[in-house]
Amino acid sequence: MSLFDIIGPVMIGPSSSHTAGAAKIGFLAQSVLGKPFKKVHITLFNSFAETGLGHGTDKAIIGGILGFRMDDERIPRSFELAREQGIQIEFSCEKDSKKHPNEVCIEFYSEAEALLLTISGQSIGGGAAKIVEINGTPVWFGGMHDILIIQYKDVPGMVGFFGEVLGDHHINIAYLDISRDAVTEKALAVLKLDQYCPENVTDIIRKNIHILDVISIRRLSDQYSNT
Amino acid sequence: MTNIPIPNRIRIQNLHDVRMQMKKFDIQDLAEFFLLYESKNQEIEPAVLLSKMDYHLQVMQESIIKGLQKPNVTSSGLINGGADHMKQLLQHNQSLVGPLFSKVIMNTLAVSELNACMGRIVASPTAGSAGVLPGALLTITQHKQIPREKVVRSLFVAGGMGEMISLNASLSGASHGCQAENGSASAITAAALLYCMDQDFDCIESGSAFALKNLLGLVCDPVAGLVEVPCVKRNVIASVNAIACAEMALSGIRTVIPFDEVVKAMDLIGKDMPSSLRETSLGGLAVCPAAKMVSNQKRS
Repeated sequence: MSLFDIIGPVMIGPSSSHTAGAAKIGFLAQSVLGKPFKKVHITLFNSFAETGLGHGTDKAIIGGILGFRMDDERIPRSFELAREQGIQIEFSCEKDSKKHPNEVCIEFYSEAEALLLTISGQSIGGGAAKIVEINGTPVWFGGMHDILIIQYKDVPGMVGFFGEVLGDHHINIAYLDISRDAVTEKALAVLKLDQYCPENVTDIIRKNIHILDVISIRRLSDQYSNT
Repeated sequence: MTNIPIPNRIRIQNLHDVRMQMKKFDIQDLAEFFLLYESKNQEIEPAVLLSKMDYHLQVMQESIIKGLQKPNVTSSGLINGGADHMKQLLQHNQSLVGPLFSKVIMNTLAVSELNACMGRIVASPTAGSAGVLPGALLTITQHKQIPREKVVRSLFVAGGMGEMISLNASLSGASHGCQAENGSASAITAAALLYCMDQDFDCIESGSAFALKNLLGLVCDPVAGLVEVPCVKRNVIASVNAIACAEMALSGIRTVIPFDEVVKAMDLIGKDMPSSLRETSLGGLAVCPAAKMVSNQKRS
């Protein structure tokens, strides 16, 4: 633990788990989406649902989705600012003992009401948060590393392919998680990297015909740090 | 004196380890030790860390100013301009003890209320106890004209003491009750105050131990689950307690129970605490008839 977790973080109140962590989940979610959207449906679970509104959990998540950091003073006005951008917001609350006490599921929709992304996150205390599910696939990352998310057709040799591209560009893989959906035959790889994967490299990966989507996300400390 | 090289990682379990390591590496200054600890373990240059902490100090100062700009009112109505009332009291010279004491209370309320109103604060150690360090440390060091650089360094002492509590007990109300939030805030504030008054290790340890001892057993029972009642005013007791304990240590009074043992006691008390008194709003003040009325209004 860093001493700046004790004297910090700098955040919008009133609660590190219900406000700061919630904002961080929203921020991570919009980084994963990485494209414009017109509607979000947000499902709050358990403690997020019970005491979330009094802690501004709703405002914090929307603020995060708009790309605000957890210390951004626009968070209290996030609903108004989302409306100005023409973004429609829906909320629902659920109890589910199988889920984390502070969990949220966010669905992003396009203008044509097409579902773009379903993503779930957990606020795990002290302003820390993790993304735990993307489009039904379990994942686990919280912004400590640079992230590369690759969706591809589940054919042999794909890991070798993108592993080699990254290696050629001196990008080291710290952790790698792979899962696949047998029905759709789509696989999802979540790579935690030691360096950010720049656009020219993601472009090379995208050129492979089996690659369906590539998302590169910078580590949060780079975007969240104050100095 | 032979210089023992400082390793790439500094491992400490408690304040006793800090004392031993400071001796071993011949470091006199507690802030210097924690700065080195952070620098080694996070692999960041001390100058960068100092500038980051300076920024956190700046946010604390701004949070006092913003918390005093207008009466702070939350949407629940439970917080309704307490800091502003204190401002009026001060302006009309009606302070019971003296303006400095009233100012500590006012500034603590200002930051804690700002937090409740979704303002920008430094969680130190938590958002719910964010008023304590600014309210006590910043008010007193400004009055004593302590140089800013020293106050920044004292925040490393506060952070280090908080780390010792975090390693051996908890800083979370949901886990160990309010003693872990406002109790810890009070203990780390007393330590920072004594560091600013150029006190030695023993004095800092005693003041910090007093502050934590005085708030042992404090439960977390927020009305309607909000960080408002009684949290905001408990920031004031933690802040005033930090100053009283620093003053006792300054006078030469020393703690019978070492800091590490007080932390251990806090841990055991937290583990004995029923869950109804750990942020669940199922006990304590949260279930008083008046509190339940607020909860029901919130739901409807």
